[in-house]
Amino acid sequence: MSNLILLNPEIILACAGLLILLAGAFIGESRAKLLFHLGTISAAAVLGMIITQAAMSAYGMGTMWVLDPGAQLFKFVILAATVFTLLLSVNYSAIQPRHIGTYTALLLWASCGMMLLSGALDFIYLLISLELISISCFILTGFEQKNPRSAEGAIKYFLMGGLSTAVTIYGISLFYGATGTTNLLNYASSVDFHFGDPAYVMGMLFILVGFGFKISMVPFHFWAPDAYEGAPTPVTAYLSVASKLAALGAMMRIFTGVIPHYALNITLLIAVLAALTMTLGNLTALFQTNIKRLLAYSSIAQAGYMLIGLVVADPIGRESVFFYALAYLVTNMGAFAVAMVVAGKTGSYELDAYNGLAKRSLGLAIVMVMFLLSLAGIPPLVGFVAKFYVFASAVNSHQFLWLAVLGVLNSVVSVYYYMNIARRMFFTESKDPSAVETDMYTAGVIVITSAATLLMGLLPETFMRIVKDCVSFRI
Amino acid sequence: MSLLSLIVLVPLIGALVILAIPGTRIKLIQGVALAFSAVCLLLSGLLYHLFDTSTAAMQFVQKVSWIPAFNIYYYVGVDGLSVALVILTALLTVLAIIYSFNITLRVKEFFFWFLLLEVGMLGVFVALDFFLFYVFWELTLVPMYFLIGVWGGPKKEYAAIKFFLYTLFGSLLMLLGILALYFNSTPHTFDMLELINQARLLPLTMQIWIFLALYVGFAIKIPAFPFHTWLPLAHVEAPTGVSVILAGVLLKMGTYGIMRVSFPALPLATKWFLPFLIVIAVINIVYGAFCAMAQKDLKKMVAYSSVNHMGYCMLGMAAMSATGFNGAVLQMITHGLITGSLFFLVGVIYDRAHTRDIDAFGGLAARFPVYAGLMIIQVMASLGLPGLAGFVGEFLCFLGAFEAWPYYVAVATIGILVTAAFFLRMIEKVFLGPFNEKWAGLKDMNLRELVAIVPLAVLTVVIGIWPRFCLDLIDPTITYLVGIIK
Repeated sequence: MSNLILLNPEIILACAGLLILLAGAFIGESRAKLLFHLGTISAAAVLGMIITQAAMSAYGMGTMWVLDPGAQLFKFVILAATVFTLLLSVNYSAIQPRHIGTYTALLLWASCGMMLLSGALDFIYLLISLELISISCFILTGFEQKNPRSAEGAIKYFLMGGLSTAVTIYGISLFYGATGTTNLLNYASSVDFHFGDPAYVMGMLFILVGFGFKISMVPFHFWAPDAYEGAPTPVTAYLSVASKLAALGAMMRIFTGVIPHYALNITLLIAVLAALTMTLGNLTALFQTNIKRLLAYSSIAQAGYMLIGLVVADPIGRESVFFYALAYLVTNMGAFAVAMVVAGKTGSYELDAYNGLAKRSLGLAIVMVMFLLSLAGIPPLVGFVAKFYVFASAVNSHQFLWLAVLGVLNSVVSVYYYMNIARRMFFTESKDPSAVETDMYTAGVIVITSAATLLMGLLPETFMRIVKDCVSFRI
Repeated sequence: MSLLSLIVLVPLIGALVILAIPGTRIKLIQGVALAFSAVCLLLSGLLYHLFDTSTAAMQFVQKVSWIPAFNIYYYVGVDGLSVALVILTALLTVLAIIYSFNITLRVKEFFFWFLLLEVGMLGVFVALDFFLFYVFWELTLVPMYFLIGVWGGPKKEYAAIKFFLYTLFGSLLMLLGILALYFNSTPHTFDMLELINQARLLPLTMQIWIFLALYVGFAIKIPAFPFHTWLPLAHVEAPTGVSVILAGVLLKMGTYGIMRVSFPALPLATKWFLPFLIVIAVINIVYGAFCAMAQKDLKKMVAYSSVNHMGYCMLGMAAMSATGFNGAVLQMITHGLITGSLFFLVGVIYDRAHTRDIDAFGGLAARFPVYAGLMIIQVMASLGLPGLAGFVGEFLCFLGAFEAWPYYVAVATIGILVTAAFFLRMIEKVFLGPFNEKWAGLKDMNLRELVAIVPLAVLTVVIGIWPRFCLDLIDPTITYLVGIIK
């Protein structure tokens, strides 16, 4: 029990959530926004803790979970996303003051679950963290009580999520039946013994489905557009960034680390799913007229690109996923922040709301173009470096060159809908010429993310070093 | 800091300065844009002055580590192949900025994108690290998208996105080619000169795949048949200053890329590809010329004549000899000067008459002698009249190619005839014959237009009479280049 201390960041975050929930019951409605600040401060404090512990490495409680630079990197991404989400929530009007405590607490707990997930090495531990994430996120999605879309999204998310959890648990039980353990490391010492055991391969496939749901991999993505559209916008940003990346981090640990997919002979399957994910995501995004749905499909496509690195699974491939996660964090957060500002002014998430934005607020339009170009992978922005990294890994592998070619074609398709927003902002006129104001907190998020989008693109070296260290690390 | 970095940096600073000026201060913005691009031109004049024409080696080299994780450097330098293109870019940008002083819509954004575009173009020609090259290559894309899309003609939005998607498709395939080159070198490097040394040893099939990936990227920019369909649309819809840059500089990025990397780095694939290249060159020449002949719109005609002229360029490249290569590079430069000024001249008439229909005019020569004079000089240069710049480049291209591909060259001469035919017919319809009284109220060219066009006309004559002025810059590098390809 002694090294329970390794969980200090998660424990602190969970306790902060509890305190905020409790405080929410007593605080007056006029001062309820204070709770957002408390939440932001606690998430930021834990973020600081993670940074100071970046080089730590240990196994927790036997081999229940692991602390290594890779896990720390994903915790960093998750907490940064949490801080951004809370800052975006401060002036988000659809959250009622008396619910702010609950909202903040749920967000912190979801993040806590994701942090646990990023180090999980035991299926029971993994399942508990997954459930903590799912249940918190289901409620957060349905938080706009007056909005029927929100309820619809939450119900869809809940039903599909429940199903996927059931499938995951079934997979775990098969795995247990075949190997006699729920622990991945214990199992890993006797890999050859289980090789080709159908129950075991089936078990792993079911577990893959569970992850596929979380990262919105085709064909398990159907919940995403509805949930993204219905959820409060900060939550949408959170789901598309933190929830997806946390699950991806765990997938990386399991399917390229302890039980590599090539040892299971399911590499081709994942490659095909990656190809489908980016292609369907992009093709469907072409026809969206709602910015949240568009970004939802775009985030499905982005997951597809990230999966290329997972399929390649050599050091470069794994590094590329880590780097892509960092790039995706700042870019997607920024895009959602701008979407929220525009919707706050115009009251609409339809693409029409972007008409003539360049004339109304040139600065906002330019940063939005930056985020979109970064998502599309145009230099010198960070999204380009991330795509470059992923494609480099695929070209290097020879075997998966076709994924790189498909990724390239997809990038061209994606430019069409990303630039369609740029076209509306710069080439068309708006009926309402008044400027779009940005509140202080959202402006902060936009400034930080846009600066990071540009600087990480121009000077990616530091981050490349970090991801290289994460991948080459052996405990 | 080396001179080259300064040349690239100056317009970037200019763009940022413009961003800081309030949009209502139009005169100031125009002044700043002109000042920064003029400084850039002066620096490139200094470059011309300091350039050593006796060596084929890279000059003004600067190499700074940028992304060590991928062995990427900020690595710039020029040789005879690129130095003239750098100067051409700086010159055309200044002139296009002067011409664009008549833009009244969203002036601040216009000049911001314009200077950013200049950064990208200059960067492409000076970059010696393939990653850096790619970053600059893509950097030209976004400004061009906005320049066409906001300030263009009736179909501007379609033209802008078509240009963007076409070019991006090509450049992403090029990126895969670049990555393949990178991973096939030891130690992995993006250094172009190093890649040229190493990639030549790759097996043929590998070379062919890489060559094709790079070729698609370059061919779309040139534009080589069948990737040319974006060009007429983009050229016609773009505002005058932007059309000039498109035709004058952007197209050259494609031929430059092929001569800089594809040929020397992949000699086996080049040999394999030559029969296709010559066919594409001939199609570009003949088909481009016939398409131009069919146009009623002046600007479209000039746009298709670009397809035709870039065909000459490829013809010279397919020759694989010093003569042909010299011709190809000279053709790049003269085409920039001549077609650049033709687009200016078409802009001049369009600004006045608001039509570009060839049949709508007649007898303009008597009323607008200055305009007619400049137009006739440039048209004659474009159709290859001896004594003007266009002739020298075309002649060298044909001469070089004739040794290697006599029959193809014979077919390509049809293109020359057709070019002469449509240009002369245009002169007849627009400038000769009875004067159309509808245009009686129009004025001849004003100072702004003269300042933009006269320097190009002067250069056209100078290079036509004394081509060594240009060829001396190019020749040592070309001789070296042909040597390593063979």
